Amino acid sequence: MIPLIITLLLPLISSLLILFMNKENVKLIKYFTLISSLITFLISLFLLFNFNNTNPDIQYYINVTWVSSLDAGFRIGLDGMSLLLVMLITFISPIAILSSFDSIKTREKEYYFMILLLQFAMVGVFTALDTFLFYIFWELILIPMYFIIGIWGGKNRLYATVKFFIFTMVGSLFMLVAIIWLGNYVGNEILKTGFTTDYLKIKEVANLIPLNYQNWLFWAFAISFFIKVPLFPLHTWLPDAHTEAPTAGSVILAAILLKMGTYGLIRFNLEFFTSASIANASLISIFAVIGIIYGALVAAIQTDIKKLVAYSSVSHLGFVVLGIFSMTAIGIQGAIIQMVNHGLSTGMLFLLVGIIYERRHTREISEYGGIARIMPVYATFFAIAMFSSVGLPGLNGFVGEYLTLIGAFTSPILNSWGYAIAASTGVIFAAVYLLWMYQRVFFGTVDNPSNLNLKDLSKREWAFLVPIVIFIVWIGLHPSTFTNISENSTRKLVNKIENVKFGITPYPELLKNSNLKTNSNQINNNKIGK
Amino acid sequence: MNNIPLEYYIALSGILFTIGTLGVILRRNAIIVFMSLEIMLNSVNLAFISFARYLGDTSGEIFVFFVMAVAAAESAIGLAIILALFRKKQTIYVDEVNVLKH
Amino acid sequence: MTITQSYLNNLMASVGYFAPEIAIVVTFIVAILFDLMFKKSKNIAAYISIIGLIITGFILSGNIGISKSLFDGLIVVDPYSTFFKFLFLITTILIMVMSLSYKELYDNNRKVGEYYSMLVGITFGMFLLASAVNLITIYLSIEILSLSSYVLAGYTKEIRRASEASLKYVIYGSLSSGIMVYGMSLLYGATMTLDVAKINVAILSGHVELFPIIIGGLMILVGFGYKMSAVPFHYWTPDVYEGAPITITSYLSVASKAAGFAVFIRFFKDLYLLPATSDINIWNTISNFHWQTIVAVLSVLTMTVGNFVALWQENVKRLLAYSSIAHAGYILMAVVVMTNVGITSILLYFVFYMIMNLGAFFVAQLFANKIGSDDLKDYIGLGYRSPVLAVLMTVFLISLTGLPPTAGFIGKFYIFTAVLDKGFVWLAVIGVLNSVVSLFYYAKIFRNMFLRSVADDTKNNFKFSAPAFPLSIAYVLAFATILFGLYFSPILNWAENSVTMFK
Repeated sequence: MIPLIITLLLPLISSLLILFMNKENVKLIKYFTLISSLITFLISLFLLFNFNNTNPDIQYYINVTWVSSLDAGFRIGLDGMSLLLVMLITFISPIAILSSFDSIKTREKEYYFMILLLQFAMVGVFTALDTFLFYIFWELILIPMYFIIGIWGGKNRLYATVKFFIFTMVGSLFMLVAIIWLGNYVGNEILKTGFTTDYLKIKEVANLIPLNYQNWLFWAFAISFFIKVPLFPLHTWLPDAHTEAPTAGSVILAAILLKMGTYGLIRFNLEFFTSASIANASLISIFAVIGIIYGALVAAIQTDIKKLVAYSSVSHLGFVVLGIFSMTAIGIQGAIIQMVNHGLSTGMLFLLVGIIYERRHTREISEYGGIARIMPVYATFFAIAMFSSVGLPGLNGFVGEYLTLIGAFTSPILNSWGYAIAASTGVIFAAVYLLWMYQRVFFGTVDNPSNLNLKDLSKREWAFLVPIVIFIVWIGLHPSTFTNISENSTRKLVNKIENVKFGITPYPELLKNSNLKTNSNQINNNKIGK
Repeated sequence: MNNIPLEYYIALSGILFTIGTLGVILRRNAIIVFMSLEIMLNSVNLAFISFARYLGDTSGEIFVFFVMAVAAAESAIGLAIILALFRKKQTIYVDEVNVLKH
Repeated sequence: MTITQSYLNNLMASVGYFAPEIAIVVTFIVAILFDLMFKKSKNIAAYISIIGLIITGFILSGNIGISKSLFDGLIVVDPYSTFFKFLFLITTILIMVMSLSYKELYDNNRKVGEYYSMLVGITFGMFLLASAVNLITIYLSIEILSLSSYVLAGYTKEIRRASEASLKYVIYGSLSSGIMVYGMSLLYGATMTLDVAKINVAILSGHVELFPIIIGGLMILVGFGYKMSAVPFHYWTPDVYEGAPITITSYLSVASKAAGFAVFIRFFKDLYLLPATSDINIWNTISNFHWQTIVAVLSVLTMTVGNFVALWQENVKRLLAYSSIAHAGYILMAVVVMTNVGITSILLYFVFYMIMNLGAFFVAQLFANKIGSDDLKDYIGLGYRSPVLAVLMTVFLISLTGLPPTAGFIGKFYIFTAVLDKGFVWLAVIGVLNSVVSLFYYAKIFRNMFLRSVADDTKNNFKFSAPAFPLSIAYVLAFATILFGLYFSPILNWAENSVTMFK
């Protein structure tokens, strides 16, 4: 429990400490931020080692009453899925911070304050087990992100940051209405104990809400998450935000912020509104598949490397959504591992783009060519990140995409092969646009004289790229280290879904240590037509 | 007085009130606007007094005293403001007072 | 003899509970007298007023938890009115403290004694208004409040926009109070009493003509709507807010508005109260007439017009004026349901709104002191020229938008809770959409401050901050904004108690 609190609060405390530092003393601020985030990472390792993989329920649960009249509390805890994502945050944050040592040259104090505040809010989002608390963290993300893009971003940062802000805000306000309505309905109509925002309480009974209400609530939550994911056609803010954000901003945006959407879909939509999720699964999967193909096609015609990577995110996140709404254990597991993968590989791609941008101040593909001869190490790292993103077997991307496709293929709820087949074309497209880009940038002759004197990677750049590569290979070769962590919590969720839909329990071994059994009767009563 | 029915008084007060309101809205001379406001308040007074008389209840008449006092204060302040503005702008026409966009 | 005796007894019993108001009147007189006697010291009236109001606060705390009808039912003292009175008192004291550092006010060696005593006068009016349960006291206290506000709006009279604001204010104000008092005469004519509770009894008895009551109610709504600056009675707001001294603008946008809501809620709740079922359907006392719909339409109009017009504003004061109209709309959403939960959320919202709105106006004032402008385009780059003030401004704006972790979010959360509690999903959705719109223009301010920077060669590129004292007040307000976003139970309890004991 204590490691969880430290993981959550240390970034906040450090960010507040930064406020008291002298802004002239940039070095102190930089290293303080880095060390603080490294300590956070080390402490979060305790979470990993003490985690009980066999227990599908929430662990490290902390429940402190906050507002008694709303039954809102400071309730945090982790299950397998959120543990993986929290580890991703604590792992990526020091890397993002290290990568901005050279690229951020103005207002460093404010920058590092914002980054740490962002880290606090992100951990908060993935650990909150209270709808009120979740919403607060969810909105808290916006403020640092707005300033990170808006102050340290590129030329069009104003447009990008306002667009980002407005898009996310619109979605989340609908979620706010839904949270209140849900708290009111569950608290006053079902439990009759008064308004509540307790995630665990709501989870037990939320599926008793009549389907027509559930549909509204489902969409109110889902719109907000879809914007964040982003699911086609709500993705238009993403390329702008990515292109304009500073490198670290892009890394955090891609690696973690987008996962808030997919995490929310599993955590809230599937858990709360199971019936509505089942009813809407096909529709959403269609959009996911369109997003996969659309993202890949648009990525292929980009002339800006960063924009290309941004559109590839749309495509990759489509796989995650497809995996989630396949509603099978394999599919959801694939989605979770794909979330981590995307964080690593796309995060690394953004870092690499940032590295070359710092040297040449352009991201146009046509400006480059033959870079492999001048910067061989850089080219190698880029190749690893790219192959990971393409989904080369042996690297992490393959595992995630494979599992999600299998999930979509075998899903009894989608009940069609079409989704998986259409989505798999996305894998081929990904290979096309990434390899083509790689070829144009790295192979051929060095036409542009300004590329001749580029320096290869510095020690600092090595330092933040190597850890990512280790994990890319690790997940690729031995995925079960990671899938085991979330296996049981996923299975428990699938138990619930299949119970609602078909009245069966595919993973009965989990029943003895979960409370599903006691509720299965209730849920059966509300079963929607098969 | 008792021979004239209440309705007549109320109708008169309604007519006065309408005249006053229209005057405030339509006239542009600030002095006339304030006169129209006085007409409005007087129509209120008439209504109160006739109700009080008709119902045999004195509280309406008490109200009238307050309305009169307030009316006096209101026009005093209004005229003072018009004076202050006149010193700056040399006009008492409200539509010529337009620094602030409408 | 015995009647006189009982009158006297009643009077004597009432005076004790009336002590806060008496203290205010004494403060008012002492402030004016001392200002005349000590011409050398400019701020003596200000200090006396502040001290007097603080003493009033102590006296007022004696009334906490007391529910009593005073002076033969002219006014009541109850937790509801006491809550608002504390709100008014704190607002007034804050405004006075803020005024001390307001450059425009002290320009031209102006005498400021009346300024502070007028503020005390307004406070007196608002105190009465929060307690008023008789048509006479309602009218009289509204007028006390208004008359002082007219003068204060035009206090910097050599600035033309101030005089102009004042003129518009007095004309529109008198017009709407004239309409209101005519409505009162109709209510009186129909029910033969000026006491709101007795009017309620008369309506419930069913022997009165409903037509004058409905028309009268609507006309009174005009008067209250004017004070609350609800659309379509808002037309004065932007001009007056832009023209008046900025301290008065913020005062009107908080205290005067709160007073309007205080009397509006009490009046309609008392007037249409059903005896047994105090919580449900109070709007349906007069069947076939949909007060609730009217208030709902008013609410939707108010927030929508306020927010959309705010989008086009290029002047920060005017922008905040329209935003305050929009906030009146949010608050009206909770009036629509008129449940205890709803009224609690209104009280809560007002506390938070006071803090954040005063804060925003105050920082705008501190900016204006230095850069001499309220124009949005002059705010460009302020985030770098005056980082501390700009950050404080951002905190207030984020709170006004209703984003966590600030007080504004909690306020909105409770209002939405109250609205959804009674199933008004459509109203909540409109409210939410409006919040999105409001985001655009609030973001415009902090976008200009931080995300755009001025060219270095302009002469206006000096860095500045505010003097320590005003700055510390802004700090306190910003701190409170964030603190109440995280911990607000005491205020919530207080608001809940203030409502449950109110009839």
